[in-house]
Amino acid sequence: MADATLVHRSLRSELRAMLASANKEWVIFRRYPSWIIAFLVWPVLFPLAYVFPARALAGPQGLALSTFSRLAGTRDYVSFIVIGTTIYMWFNITLWDVGLLLRNEQMRGTLESNWLCPVWRISILLGGSLTKLLTAIFFLAATILECRLLFGIQLLRGNLLLLLVSLILLIPCIYGLGIAFGSLVLRFQESNALVLFMRGLVAIFCGMTFPVTVLPHWMQIVAAWLPFTYAMHAIRAVSLSQANFAAVLPDLEHLLAFAIVLPIIGYAAFRFTEQRARRTGVLGHY
Amino acid sequence: MERELATVLDAPHYQAEVVADPAPDNNRTPATIVDVQGLSKIYPKKTTSGATGIWSKLGLRRSGPPEQFVAVDAISFSIQAGEIFGLLGPNGAGKTTTIRMLCTLLEPTGGLATVNGYDVQRQPNMVRQNLGAVLTGERSIYWKLTGRENLQYFAALYHIPPALAKPRINELLERLDLSARADEYVERYSTGMKQRIAIAKALLANPPVLLLDEPTTGLDPQSARNLRELILEIKREGRTILLTTHYMEEADQLCDRIGIVDTGKIIALDTPARLKASIQQLDVIQAEVENLGPGLLSEINILQGAERVMARDNESDGSCTISLHTLDSRALLPTVIDLIGTHAGRIRHVQVARPTLEDVFIALTGKQLRD
Repeated sequence: MADATLVHRSLRSELRAMLASANKEWVIFRRYPSWIIAFLVWPVLFPLAYVFPARALAGPQGLALSTFSRLAGTRDYVSFIVIGTTIYMWFNITLWDVGLLLRNEQMRGTLESNWLCPVWRISILLGGSLTKLLTAIFFLAATILECRLLFGIQLLRGNLLLLLVSLILLIPCIYGLGIAFGSLVLRFQESNALVLFMRGLVAIFCGMTFPVTVLPHWMQIVAAWLPFTYAMHAIRAVSLSQANFAAVLPDLEHLLAFAIVLPIIGYAAFRFTEQRARRTGVLGHY
Repeated sequence: MERELATVLDAPHYQAEVVADPAPDNNRTPATIVDVQGLSKIYPKKTTSGATGIWSKLGLRRSGPPEQFVAVDAISFSIQAGEIFGLLGPNGAGKTTTIRMLCTLLEPTGGLATVNGYDVQRQPNMVRQNLGAVLTGERSIYWKLTGRENLQYFAALYHIPPALAKPRINELLERLDLSARADEYVERYSTGMKQRIAIAKALLANPPVLLLDEPTTGLDPQSARNLRELILEIKREGRTILLTTHYMEEADQLCDRIGIVDTGKIIALDTPARLKASIQQLDVIQAEVENLGPGLLSEINILQGAERVMARDNESDGSCTISLHTLDSRALLPTVIDLIGTHAGRIRHVQVARPTLEDVFIALTGKQLRD
């Protein structure tokens, strides 16, 4: 008879498994170098598609900017757009990376292989998400640096602590949604339509390139249920209008609520999908 | 004839009992390491009429009770420690579904299954600790990682402490003849090497039970032969192996006992020798024929003394192999040869063969394994 198994389960080994999952994702990411180029080019290319139309609409000598300024609280429409597109792209990257993490494993054929191990399945997902968070931080840093060098825009201004708090509160929102989205993709085995829907939701309702106040009333009601609306508003207020803590407190409160609720929703969706997959055998389907 | 076969199973279907105590069941027979009783898997049938579609789910379309597809139909079997147990059957027979339920990927609809005493439904983590599985073969590992990196990753997922993982990985790489290329990307490996890494991954935690789903599918003959030798080596270590296959030669060569599966049921279960002995009174006339004319098979089938006739196309040369089961080959052979000649068929080769497991399957189901 074979000797006893080598499995020694503990919380520490669970953490080790999570880090191994993060490391695996990182190693695979590094082996597709084209992603790094995309991460360097994208931050400046994407906002330009909105900056030039805005310049055209501003009219000669920026005559229309006073109207924009009245609605947005700043005349710096380039920074306004860059902040919106950066948050949008962060979410977009998360949809593709975290949202499709399990689906990619499923299509590769490795999902079942992971599921066969005596590890918490959420550890595998959290480990992978950790790497995706690190790559997103790299993306944010590249954006800030490139905007400074190429456009002369300084995004890190105002109360940096408030900026940091806003960004930190946004992390659980984005990744909670990403995990919930990933569960949905695993359920429906279809990603493109879902990604387009989610991206459209953020781009249109959260005011990626315009102040939310220009939206019709019913759209503003929808916007109020999305964390990105508050994150964009808070970050723009701090960075572009030097808003203080009291001014952005309502935004931070809403973000905090989302930061608590969305990871719970993400986990619940994941658990539901996991249990459903066991009933239907969907894990092995491509 | 079917009644004379070794063991025809008709296991009762019963629901899993609630197990309050997570400890292994100490009352089981010590030698039984995998125990399956009345295990079932039933899926609602997906139909284009939308009986399980979204409109029906939303209550906007009237539909009767959903149609069901029984993938596994109340099967029962036990595997003794140290044996190789095979599930042999055609594609879609329910072999893979059974193995997926045993390794906790799929929830049974009914019945009970234990692995090393642990209930697959109530103690899935303990079950996963006690078995290694290779389900999708070469696709179950990461091609963008090296062989060693794959094993390091899965060692962490198996909660193997780093101090134990490193020597264990080296040992497995050495043993499976992968050391020299352990630090190359898996995408550069041959299919056989990828399959060996997948097996090394399954062996990482030193589990007492190994589940192998169609382990040699897609391998070239030499790699398949090497893998079969490896499976026998693993058995000699004292491990229990459950494998599924639709290759009768593989089942015959490797398995101590075989459960023949068809349409979700185990229709016979015994050692390969006894299964074949159960139809030993049958002769199998095999004729390789060119230019098989229409109507020949049905004419052979109605000959006096013909039990069953099957034909298989030989894709390589366009000929056809006719297999005829009969109780008296001496009496029937001349008539069969005449009949083939009458239909302008040209006989390349004819023999009276000993029954194989495929003949057992044909005798039981009236169809070939590759149907």
